[in-house]
Amino acid sequence: MSHTDHSTTPVIQVRDLEKVYTVHEKEPGLRGSLASFVRRRKTLVRAVDRISFEIDAGQMVGFLGPNGAGKTTALKMLAGLLHPTDGFVRVGGHVPKERRTEFLKNITLVMGQKQQLLWDLPALDSFLVNQAIYEIPNDEYQATMREFSEILELEGILKKQVRKLSLGERMKCELAAALLHRPRVLFLDEPTIGLDVNMQVRIREFVAEYNRRFNATVILTSHYMADVTALCKRIIVIDKGHIVFDGDLSALVEEAAPGKTVRLELSENVSDERLSFYGKLTSREGLFADVLVPRNETSRLAARMLAELPVADVTIEDPPIEGVIGTLFAGTNRQAVDAVPAGAEQAAR
Amino acid sequence: MRLKRYIRVLGIFVRASISAQLEYRVNFAVNLFGSLLLAGGTLLGITILYSDGTPLGGWSYRESIVVVGLFTLVQGYIGAFLYPNLNKIGEEVRQGTMDFNLLKPVDAQFLISSRNINVFRLTDALVGAGLVIWAASGLENASSIGALLGLCLIVTALTIVYAVWFMLSMTAFWFVKVGNVTELFNGFFRAGAFPVSALPGWVRLVFTFLIPVAFVTTVPAEAIIGRWNAGSVLGSGVAAVLLLGVSRWFWTYAISKYTSASS
Ligand SMILES: Nc1ncnc2c1ncn2[C@@H]1O[C@H](COP(=O)(O)OP(=O)(O)O)[C@@H](O)[C@H]1O
Ligand SMILES: [Mg+2]
Repeated sequence: MSHTDHSTTPVIQVRDLEKVYTVHEKEPGLRGSLASFVRRRKTLVRAVDRISFEIDAGQMVGFLGPNGAGKTTALKMLAGLLHPTDGFVRVGGHVPKERRTEFLKNITLVMGQKQQLLWDLPALDSFLVNQAIYEIPNDEYQATMREFSEILELEGILKKQVRKLSLGERMKCELAAALLHRPRVLFLDEPTIGLDVNMQVRIREFVAEYNRRFNATVILTSHYMADVTALCKRIIVIDKGHIVFDGDLSALVEEAAPGKTVRLELSENVSDERLSFYGKLTSREGLFADVLVPRNETSRLAARMLAELPVADVTIEDPPIEGVIGTLFAGTNRQAVDAVPAGAEQAAR
Repeated sequence: MRLKRYIRVLGIFVRASISAQLEYRVNFAVNLFGSLLLAGGTLLGITILYSDGTPLGGWSYRESIVVVGLFTLVQGYIGAFLYPNLNKIGEEVRQGTMDFNLLKPVDAQFLISSRNINVFRLTDALVGAGLVIWAASGLENASSIGALLGLCLIVTALTIVYAVWFMLSMTAFWFVKVGNVTELFNGFFRAGAFPVSALPGWVRLVFTFLIPVAFVTTVPAEAIIGRWNAGSVLGSGVAAVLLLGVSRWFWTYAISKYTSASS
């Protein structure tokens, strides 16, 4: 990856990228096993279907989409693990599937569900292996370790056998191992999956700090909306292998949720009919009422309500992002967005 | 430069393997005992076969023991270097951790072939080498040139075994359970405990060309006992280079088809 051109050409270029898996189907049971042993039925799964995008150096981009949308497959092609069925990919000017040394030394792929650390040895041993493999000079290794230890609070866990670490501690070590060689391009596939809120926040901060310090380009997928909204200004929404949205998070909210909620606290009772005159009444509890109004008429309608209704207090809110993305998918194909478990909302605070 | 890095990485793997295994000192004694037992058993069989003193298929007692020694040595090599690495490929493909090997900026074939070393199985190799030296020292046709040639042929033999074993393990990219395949190979390889040239013609052909067992033990043994012929020596070299080349091609093909475990 040359350091001269990253300001002019995008670090990541993807055009009409496609991946088709061949899957052998098998009916359940012994009979099915026998049948598929004799004659295997093949089906094609179009996991990534001609996607195109470009990402500039230093950008952090979030991939959102329901389970099975093709996010992981796309990342694996970018990292050179999977050979694309068709299409054009360049990462830092390299063709990923060639897996050239200069390419591999400049990227990393972190997968929340897989681990590279040696199970029976302390994480430090795995680090030393990576130091040799990536040819990291001793002083640079020491410096990086000092920084990582500080931000990730690795103190005291590096010398314990990996199998004795908690999930969160292990993930911190995984991240450190994956970033030891200071890659300029990071592919993070659900790095916070299964972690508690505190740990999610810590890892999020680490990624943000790493991006700032090394001007690293980051693509992040996550189950937790909060990870993506906290780190990425730009969102690419993938559904069934297609890109259905690519742009600013705020634009996504605007596109998917053309309304805002005017939250009223009334000083005396007003009929539901009267409130419905201004917009859609989404909730009503005594003197508290939520009215959904078109985004571009928000201020006008809010002003009218203030003038015409006995209002004690008023706030105007964007609908929560989880709901927005949910309705986006519901609108396109009646599929729910990746589960947003409890905790994600707290984490968003 | 490149070579230096590979040697350094290999050094780290060796050191890590040793330090992980030295925790179990009893293992060493147990393995040494097992190796002696294995060699002893085969020796006993040979001794009974030769009990009336006549050479079998043109191989004298001592000459056969050179083959047994080489067989034991190769078994040690398989146990120490091939088995602990190559038999993990299936598991890694299934769990998707193969990904991490492919992400590293060193040759991934090198990586998956060298990470783990079972130092205790080297006892087999030691016992085997001991047998060869002992048996050859009592043979009048043994010469230092023969020994040198034998050494070269052992290297090509180990290369052949590696290439075949590696290719069989590589099928893990398609059929996730390959334990059986390598067991099958091991079964055939047992034939290598006996001089292939003492076997009937068609068996000899099978064990030379179909399953290159002859090159693994018989050919180097022939050199050591001073009975080599240029054809086998050349054949061994060609087979090694060819098989290594094919295994490399097969590897490149396998990773181009690699789909990685979904996660
Ligand atoms: N190794 C594989 N072999 C066959 N099909 C796969 C494989 N990996 C993923 N798929 C299929 O491809 C589609 C996309 O999967 P994936 O990229 O993992 O989606 P996501 O990461 O967005 O959840 C899914 O339908 C999945 O079943
Ligand atoms: Mg995924």
